[in-house]
Amino acid sequence: MSGLPPEKTLIDDLLADQKKLFTPVADFADRHEREPDLAGHYRNLIPLSKPGPGEQYAFEVALDKCTSCKACVAACHSQNGLDENESWRDVGLLLGGDEAPGWQQTITTACHHCADPECLNGCPVQAYEKSSETGIVRHLDDQCIGCSYCIFKCPFDVPKYSKKRGIVRKCDMCHDRLAEGEAPACVQACPTEAIKIVKVNVAEKAKLGSRDMGWLNGAPPASITQPTTRYTGREVPTSAHAADHDDLTPEHAHWPLVIMLTLTQAAVGLFLGSLFLSPETRAHLTFSALSLALFSIGLVAATLHLGQPLKAWRFFLGLRTSWLSRELLAFTILGGFLTAPLLNHVPLPPPLGFLPSIINHPAFLAFSAGTALAAVFTSVKIYQTTNRRLWKSAITFPRFYGTVTLFILLTLATISPVASFGFVLAIIGKLALDLIQLRVPSLARERTIVTTALRPISLLRVVGVLGAALLLPFSPLAALPVLLLSELAERTLYFKAVRPLKMPGFLP
Amino acid sequence: MTISNKPKAISDLVKQHTQLHARTGPFTEELLRQPGKFGLGQVPAHLTPDSTTSSICGYCSTGCRLKVHLKDGQAVNLTPATNYPVNLGMACPKGWEALAVLDSPDRATTPLLEGRPVDWNTALDSFCDNFKSIQKQHGQESVAFISTGQITIEDFFLLGTFAKFGMGIKHGDGNTRQCMATAVTAYKQSFGFDAPPYTYADFEESDVLVFIGANPAIAHPIMWQRVMRNQRNPEIVVIDPRRTETAQVASRHVDLAPKSDLPLLYALAHCIIRDGRIDADSLARTEGFSEFKKFLKSYSPEAVSLKCGQTVAQIESLARLVSEPGKRVSWWWTMGINQSYEGTRTAQAIINLCLMTGNIGKPGTGPNSITGQCNAMGTRLYGNTSSLVGGHLFNKPEHREKVAKILNIDESRIPTEPGWAYDQIMDGIDRGDIKGLWIIATNPNHSWVAQKNFARLREKLDFLVVQDMYHNTETAKLADLVLPAAGWGEKDGTLINSERRLGVIRQVKQAPGQALTDYRIIQALADRWGDCEFVKQWPTPADAFQTIKKISAGQPSDITGIRDYDHLEQAGGIQWPCSKEQIADAESPLPSERRLFSDGNYYTPSGKAIFHFDHPSPLAEPTCEDYPFILLTGRGTSSQWHTQTRTAKSAILRKLYPQDCYIEINPDDANRLGIADRQTVTISSRRASIEALAYHAPTVKPGQLFIPMHYPDANKLTHASFDPHSRQPSYKYCAVQVG
Repeated sequence: MSGLPPEKTLIDDLLADQKKLFTPVADFADRHEREPDLAGHYRNLIPLSKPGPGEQYAFEVALDKCTSCKACVAACHSQNGLDENESWRDVGLLLGGDEAPGWQQTITTACHHCADPECLNGCPVQAYEKSSETGIVRHLDDQCIGCSYCIFKCPFDVPKYSKKRGIVRKCDMCHDRLAEGEAPACVQACPTEAIKIVKVNVAEKAKLGSRDMGWLNGAPPASITQPTTRYTGREVPTSAHAADHDDLTPEHAHWPLVIMLTLTQAAVGLFLGSLFLSPETRAHLTFSALSLALFSIGLVAATLHLGQPLKAWRFFLGLRTSWLSRELLAFTILGGFLTAPLLNHVPLPPPLGFLPSIINHPAFLAFSAGTALAAVFTSVKIYQTTNRRLWKSAITFPRFYGTVTLFILLTLATISPVASFGFVLAIIGKLALDLIQLRVPSLARERTIVTTALRPISLLRVVGVLGAALLLPFSPLAALPVLLLSELAERTLYFKAVRPLKMPGFLP
Repeated sequence: MTISNKPKAISDLVKQHTQLHARTGPFTEELLRQPGKFGLGQVPAHLTPDSTTSSICGYCSTGCRLKVHLKDGQAVNLTPATNYPVNLGMACPKGWEALAVLDSPDRATTPLLEGRPVDWNTALDSFCDNFKSIQKQHGQESVAFISTGQITIEDFFLLGTFAKFGMGIKHGDGNTRQCMATAVTAYKQSFGFDAPPYTYADFEESDVLVFIGANPAIAHPIMWQRVMRNQRNPEIVVIDPRRTETAQVASRHVDLAPKSDLPLLYALAHCIIRDGRIDADSLARTEGFSEFKKFLKSYSPEAVSLKCGQTVAQIESLARLVSEPGKRVSWWWTMGINQSYEGTRTAQAIINLCLMTGNIGKPGTGPNSITGQCNAMGTRLYGNTSSLVGGHLFNKPEHREKVAKILNIDESRIPTEPGWAYDQIMDGIDRGDIKGLWIIATNPNHSWVAQKNFARLREKLDFLVVQDMYHNTETAKLADLVLPAAGWGEKDGTLINSERRLGVIRQVKQAPGQALTDYRIIQALADRWGDCEFVKQWPTPADAFQTIKKISAGQPSDITGIRDYDHLEQAGGIQWPCSKEQIADAESPLPSERRLFSDGNYYTPSGKAIFHFDHPSPLAEPTCEDYPFILLTGRGTSSQWHTQTRTAKSAILRKLYPQDCYIEINPDDANRLGIADRQTVTISSRRASIEALAYHAPTVKPGQLFIPMHYPDANKLTHASFDPHSRQPSYKYCAVQVG
């Protein structure tokens, strides 16, 4: 037995010593400006001169040299001082071929600095810039409003949302390193020199349309954005597919967007329906007020999807290219039109006594109806232009305008039993269309998700809409919340079952 | 990283929100890069160093040097060192993330006794009281230790000498038994010493590189870098049942049937002798060739073709390739060879091929075992487990005398025979011979073959001490006492890499809480244990290093010529042997890359290399109707290390491997059994059943399954069989069913 320890023992000294940090041979003397130690290594991996007219910088990946060490991912993280789990480079796996044992290839991927970047086109506030000199697509972090639309738009899953900042961040090809003749972090770090920066002729690339220029089987089509990265060195079989190609993990619901889309479309439906009601009636007041209320809640919900809502006023900057900008403009105008009918129900001071005659004028009503339908059109375009299979026109148009139609018919049910009949037909039509569309072989994965992982939401959707149909003949107002719930479920499925376009990944 | 650029004033805030086009601002500033000086090029502005130092990476045996960026004396970042002959400015993700894993909430920060935090005095008393009382009751030999290849030479040295010469422990072994024991035994028997003969330049100097049971593309990416730098347009042959990452880029993939490597190698030797493609000069420096030649008679390609799953033509062609006159042929192996019930003879079959064809002692040649852990060779030489410290022999009186004299201890403290191997210690626990166990920096409750055994055996132990960086490793969770250890980056010392190169690791961070370096823990334990005055001769690792040098004198692994840590730093690491005489010879300074046996002299008593061979043994657990699949195990990805106690602590590394346990199954097998891609399946062996995601992998052949070793469930399935010479467990083949 050791007995009681003495007053001060070796362990106390050892603990005290452990707290001292003698960083040995700390090389302060070496602290001078000089050529980077790795310059000799990467000199051949970056172009000697800046891109000329019609050219831009691009990544070139030699597949035969890449052996899946993934140092590029770790180096990007460290050399750019990124967040704990953040890297602008990622790796995935392609599998294929007919031999046994078979073919596989690791795919390292960063931003492709596309010739026609959809992130840039879709950004409502011009937070993306494509350098005319280098072609590098840069994200302006302080301009970003955190709407995440670029994440939907990029076919390669490049921009990533930073929750703690409320903005997205992405690869900038280490533009300032390149400007000083230094290689990007991933290029510097690749032990086998598999990643290079080259100059590519943008015009030629666009003309040839991609695959011939070293694009990948098993990756999203190059035609959407004309990515400039070239994959060379090893033939990729046409059967190549991403290791995660049938991953069945549902996507994020994006609740603010689910609520915003459903409520604004319901509001448009109620508004359009109320146009057929006499302005003096209580029903007109009820449905006009409901329309404005749902629309307002929808817009408030939408702002919750923004990481930087106070910067959102810049939205008009993107009007030339961004459907999101156009949606915001359309909704702003629509807000006025949805407010107008309520003027019929408030006492107006004499100088404004002329207003009812304007707001009830058929031309005004037609114009406001047109605006409402156009606003929904902008919503459709936002999703339809992302090239995701579940969000294509044939699905998005019927779904969005279908919601509008249901709420029009719900409103009309107050004045005509025929509308109730129409409502039931519309429901059957909408459900049937969903079912038929999900049977398309190319949507097999989406169908599987809807019927397995998302089964409870699918059930809610169907039960809800049938419940609304049953309630409608008795009370449109009672049917309304049930229909709303069902439509929210439908829109949740729309977001959660979609398969985003992305570069090949690994197992989950 | 924290957001450090908070707006300074309301006016800034207003400006950020009212600018029409904000090209700068706090978010932009976070990502600014600026010249890092110190030859670094641009670095993140918030991580700009004020000084740098260097340290050898503490994961694998490649031994890359990392340049650690310091700010106010603490590490803030790192980059691979450029001016080092090993890694030439590169590192794999584990090296890049070496600092990240130190800041984990899972770090052990105080000693834990039965799960409760206690102070060090209590912990030291508990260690000494419990182990002493066990020894009193059950005999001196009833306490054992299991160490690792992950700590420094100085740590091993102090641990091994304190445990064996201070505590009187007889049985101690390292987890290197699980990875390198086979190569060690093969080299010892064939060459007379555990002496991997190569230097990394051989990767670049070779005409034919044969990787057998090795997947360096992901397991040793920085060695693979050297292969890719080979300018001789080499043939790269990969012998492996799976089409691994390395096989994907090889010029020839030999997809042999699992565990048919030994007959295949014998068949190659058969062809080479038959065709007279042997090197007489090389054979003159060997013993036992004529017996080997006779032995090989029955190993014609025709005789082994079926078993190996290779056609006669394929075998003949491979035999010609690896014996091409004038071509430099090098053989490289790792766990595919070592972790086998007949690994020693298989490794020696490779050695024999090299001896026969003269592919040894010359640039670009050699039977080359690539080591696993960062200091596996350090523990082999200085761990004082199976060999007496310094690569000496316990049963040689002159060795005991030499060591006792240098350590200033009574010779009677040195056991006269080696202790048990890992599996024998486990058997000892089972029999009740071992009652106390001290585990240092390893995780047998995850990694031990037929793992369930370990948890069962733990119940038979009266006292289990686990010394580790993390309090919640699978094994630490079972411990009576956890001793919190400082890790790589929090201590000084030396490591030896695969090519026999010694390098220095440095303290660049403060250890958390009351964690102490392994060295200090052992000092404190020795002090509390009593009657261990000799340990006080070495107050610091640098002091221990001087004694380690003295012990190496006269051994093949002589390092008496290395002055100190600074010498190692300045020289860019130094390979053994490096004797005083070699260093003193100013005429011929030691080149930075050296290989062994260029003079044809081996370390055996006769000076000649010896042919060792045996007929292949039957499979330990062949497949059958109930268990029709062969389960192969191995490395998953470059970002995973062993049982993941460290690599799972980095968010970046976690991104780079699948989070859930999975098996790879050939798509034809999967379709036949109706197993969908990513479906959860049950895999059963005679030991256990586990669940894992099935992953359709065309790279695995029908009838075989592959499971990465990093998931805790993997070793529940493996079969406990051992190589009779090296006592290394056979992890690579067992019979399972899937459904």
